[in-house]
Amino acid sequence: MYLTTEEEKILNGEKGWAYEVSMKILARLGDLFKASRLIPIKSAHISGASYKTIGDAPIDFLEALVNADGKVKVSSTVNPSGFDPDYLAKRFPKEYQRKQKRIIELYKRMGVDAVLTCTPYYLQQPKPNWHLAWAESSAVVYANSVLKSWTNREGAPSALAAALIGKTPNCGVHRAENRQPSIVIKVEVNPRNEAEFGALGIYVGKTLKDEIPVFEGLNCTDDYLKQLGAGLASSGMTAMFYYQKPGARSRMETISIERKDMKNAVETLSTTQQNPDLVFIGCPHCSLKEIETVAKALKGKRVKSETELWVCTSRHVKNVAKGHVNIIEKAGGHVLCDTCAVVTWIKNLGFNTLMTNSAKTAYYAPTLNKVDVVLTPLKRCVNVACD
Amino acid sequence: MKGRSIVPGQCKGLALVSAKPLSFLGGVDYNSGMIIEKGHDLKGKTIKEKILCFPHGHGSTVGSYVLYSLVKKGVGPKAIINQSADPVIVVGAIIADIPMIDQIDIKQIETGDEVEVDGEKGIVKVRKK
Repeated sequence: MYLTTEEEKILNGEKGWAYEVSMKILARLGDLFKASRLIPIKSAHISGASYKTIGDAPIDFLEALVNADGKVKVSSTVNPSGFDPDYLAKRFPKEYQRKQKRIIELYKRMGVDAVLTCTPYYLQQPKPNWHLAWAESSAVVYANSVLKSWTNREGAPSALAAALIGKTPNCGVHRAENRQPSIVIKVEVNPRNEAEFGALGIYVGKTLKDEIPVFEGLNCTDDYLKQLGAGLASSGMTAMFYYQKPGARSRMETISIERKDMKNAVETLSTTQQNPDLVFIGCPHCSLKEIETVAKALKGKRVKSETELWVCTSRHVKNVAKGHVNIIEKAGGHVLCDTCAVVTWIKNLGFNTLMTNSAKTAYYAPTLNKVDVVLTPLKRCVNVACD
Repeated sequence: MKGRSIVPGQCKGLALVSAKPLSFLGGVDYNSGMIIEKGHDLKGKTIKEKILCFPHGHGSTVGSYVLYSLVKKGVGPKAIINQSADPVIVVGAIIADIPMIDQIDIKQIETGDEVEVDGEKGIVKVRKK
């Protein structure tokens, strides 16, 4: 991969260790994935913030970067943490609280905007054709497919390295020729709700390798596409999908999804049909519209004393959605920022059965959180949570 | 054997060889360097000061940070030899600054063999135990 004189200097350590090691990461990955050069990015989104998910190990590396005066060069955001400071923090041991605070502090000192969310696009929506370096697979797929920006599926360290340098190698879906669809997913009957859209994503993600699919026959909102993309990214390596005719697709291989496949996809993601002790909405973090939908569904209802209802979103969306947040909280629900049910220790909080409208959560929670899950649409989630 | 240079550096040590992909996050104990991945053929073995040979990494990209910490604590491997390099291990070896080579037929190496690694040239010399 070609490096400019300036980039070579950084690689040789002239700007300090933090930039040297970042440049080494980008240059080596660029070589391995056949990039020809580095290209500037508009923003970076970094994964690896929840102490539950990442543990102690990353703290050492982040500390070394901070000590070497590493600062991000572009607008950078970071994924959710292990708890929110208001509702959940006090329910965990002091040591967890201290370590989690330290991780967030280290990112802040590097200049990362510590809005802890998996939906950075609600804070600042990237424009079509912008090059980005985002980790968090659901955000990557949403950016490429719905917002038409360009980003590879970065890992935690490569997104951080790109943030510090402000560039990324021009490989993968940063090249137009690698953004071509190669398979048609013909959806015979439109999914009926967000749980089905997510389950369709999980089902299709499992059958694809790294092919880019075109979904044919979808009638949907951006929020439904968010669920579809989150599902696709969880069970497979896909970085993007199309949902409109991109032309010249007649010769492409086609997979048909029938009503029974969809029904099956939702059913296999549930591990129990028992009553939940936690009902969780907000994976990926809720949009303003989704918060509004939850508030409407909760009107005149009251969350049962034996159940908790969590609605997770970004601090930004929570602030904008104040009226809806009030309704949800009055009904006994909790609107939580900075975290979600998957990246916190729900088992330690005493929860054993999780009900959610997110197929991504249903896919991960049995292994990452060791709980049983029920996948079902929002309406039923709210009804079950309430008397 | 000649492979592809990933991270430069030279060293000598005893091989620890696995036929299975390895996840550093959750698969290797962060404090001791012991392999704890369920069902792994090296479960219970320590990677400390070994020339660690395995096909490739898998799992979370946070695994790169685990490799960094292991090496900084002195319980990490001396070098890594892979069949085919993947980003998690590549980035881990870069930030930990240990030699790494891929495109090596690791079936030719056995645990306990004495191995000499030249990360710059991509050369692996094996002396059978």
